Amino acid sequence: MGAASLRIGLIYAITGVMLLPIVWMVGTSLKPPLEYVSTTVDLIPDAPTLAHYRALWADDILGKVLNSLIVATGATLIALAAGFPAAYALARLRLPRRLDGVFLIFVLVVKLSPPLVLAIPLYQVLRTIGLLDTLPGLILVYQVYCLPFAIWMLLGFVRDVPIAYEDAARIEGAGLARRLATIVLPLITPGLVATAVFLMILCWNEFAYALLFIQTPSKFTLPTYIATLITEDETFWGQLTAIGFLASLPILALVGIVQRGLTRGFAGGLK
Amino acid sequence: MPTSRLTALLLLTPALVLFALLTLYPLGRGLLLSLVNTDYGLADAAWVGADNYTFLLSDPFFRGAAWNTVAFTLMATLSEVAFGLALALLVNARFPGRWLVVPSLVAPFVLSTMVVTAVWRAWFHYDFGFLNNALRAVALPPVEWLFDPDLALVSLVLVDLWQTAPFTFLILLAGLQSIPRDLHEAAQVEGASPVRRLWTITLPLLVPHLLLAALLRSIESFKIFDKVYALTGGGPGQATETLSMYLYRLGFQYFDIGLASATAVVMIVIAGLLAAVYAWHIVRGQSDGGR
Repeated sequence: MGAASLRIGLIYAITGVMLLPIVWMVGTSLKPPLEYVSTTVDLIPDAPTLAHYRALWADDILGKVLNSLIVATGATLIALAAGFPAAYALARLRLPRRLDGVFLIFVLVVKLSPPLVLAIPLYQVLRTIGLLDTLPGLILVYQVYCLPFAIWMLLGFVRDVPIAYEDAARIEGAGLARRLATIVLPLITPGLVATAVFLMILCWNEFAYALLFIQTPSKFTLPTYIATLITEDETFWGQLTAIGFLASLPILALVGIVQRGLTRGFAGGLK
Repeated sequence: MPTSRLTALLLLTPALVLFALLTLYPLGRGLLLSLVNTDYGLADAAWVGADNYTFLLSDPFFRGAAWNTVAFTLMATLSEVAFGLALALLVNARFPGRWLVVPSLVAPFVLSTMVVTAVWRAWFHYDFGFLNNALRAVALPPVEWLFDPDLALVSLVLVDLWQTAPFTFLILLAGLQSIPRDLHEAAQVEGASPVRRLWTITLPLLVPHLLLAALLRSIESFKIFDKVYALTGGGPGQATETLSMYLYRLGFQYFDIGLASATAVVMIVIAGLLAAVYAWHIVRGQSDGGR
């Protein structure tokens, strides 16, 4: 019994330490500067204030949240729209055997390529089609990572749909479009939602391309906005933690989904 | 299924177009750019063959960045797999509050890297940072976390460990749960101690998951950019400049497109070698009947 309670104590202690940075973030966002510019350990604010959140509001934080939302939603929708038909084709339709292998290699190469490696040619692509420094341009380049990830995840879900259902419908004369709309899509809705959640998180958090392809501050997404705050001032922590907490709230609400996805093993590409 | 190849091709078209525009073309274009000298802008680009590559190999900054990347990848991967394993072994049992502990342990992984970086940059602050405050509280001398050339890379590993150990933890926890219970029960009946069961049953059966976790983490660590950019900028001096950071400096600060592209090609070749290991692992896993 002693070993068991020691084990539980250890688990709680480690969990507490792992959560410390997040607790510190929330606490600091509510502290007046005099409290956090200090040389002692203190997590809880003595005189809580919403001043940092108000300062963010005055600094058009809503605009950055909106930019992040537009980019994440747009990129997710495009990845699903292009990814679902592709996943269906790869899972169901008779393709030359070699194409499967080619697809696997393509997913791997993309997954392995550091974002910076494609950045210079992508910069030129965006400039050529006039989408440099625009949110639609960012949505487009996010497909570099979103699309293969969407296809990879959806492939598994499409394969889980029993082929007998579709065969039965085909015998009754249902065409491909009808089968997709009435059988496949309804059955993989949970899979589509899970894929969408992962894609949204991926785009909501993305930094490198947002840094390189967006120059106008009013078009910044949350991560690039945070980066400017980080480098602007050494101890600008009140606003920094306030924005960090705001940006994390929607994502922390989704931890459960991420956890289940990861244990199923299909989310290896998230980061 | 009698559906034609044409249908399949039609369904694949949107994905193929995006892939061609955003991955294939940039890869080819990058390869071409790595063979030119662009000192005076792209308009006057001159064909220089392999010169950029020979320059890179003799450039101490490139070698330093390559070394830093390898050192970071090794330290991060090993520490993350080891810590993830310890967490998974601890949590792989019934105990009160487990439903709350697991998501709490996963939380750091879903945060944006920029948010993580913001918090840790404050924690690393010499005068008012949480870490040095904690050291002072137990009467230890404060540490220059990000400005000591010998320590800065380790500090980056520490941040990466905090953020991504949850990932290896979840993979290894899933692995532990796939080990049949009766194996342990049988060994227990035979009188095997917990430590002995760990070494003779758990760890050998966990090897595929350990390899997978290590592989996925080394692939990600190899790419590292965000944390270096926002925590140290590659400094002090060149102490934490990784290959991605080196490429960023050349391509987007010095606008030396030729050299930056050559760096990108070298990185893709290294990534390709890692991919070969990964693909081999997947193919072998499938022929074993899946993980």
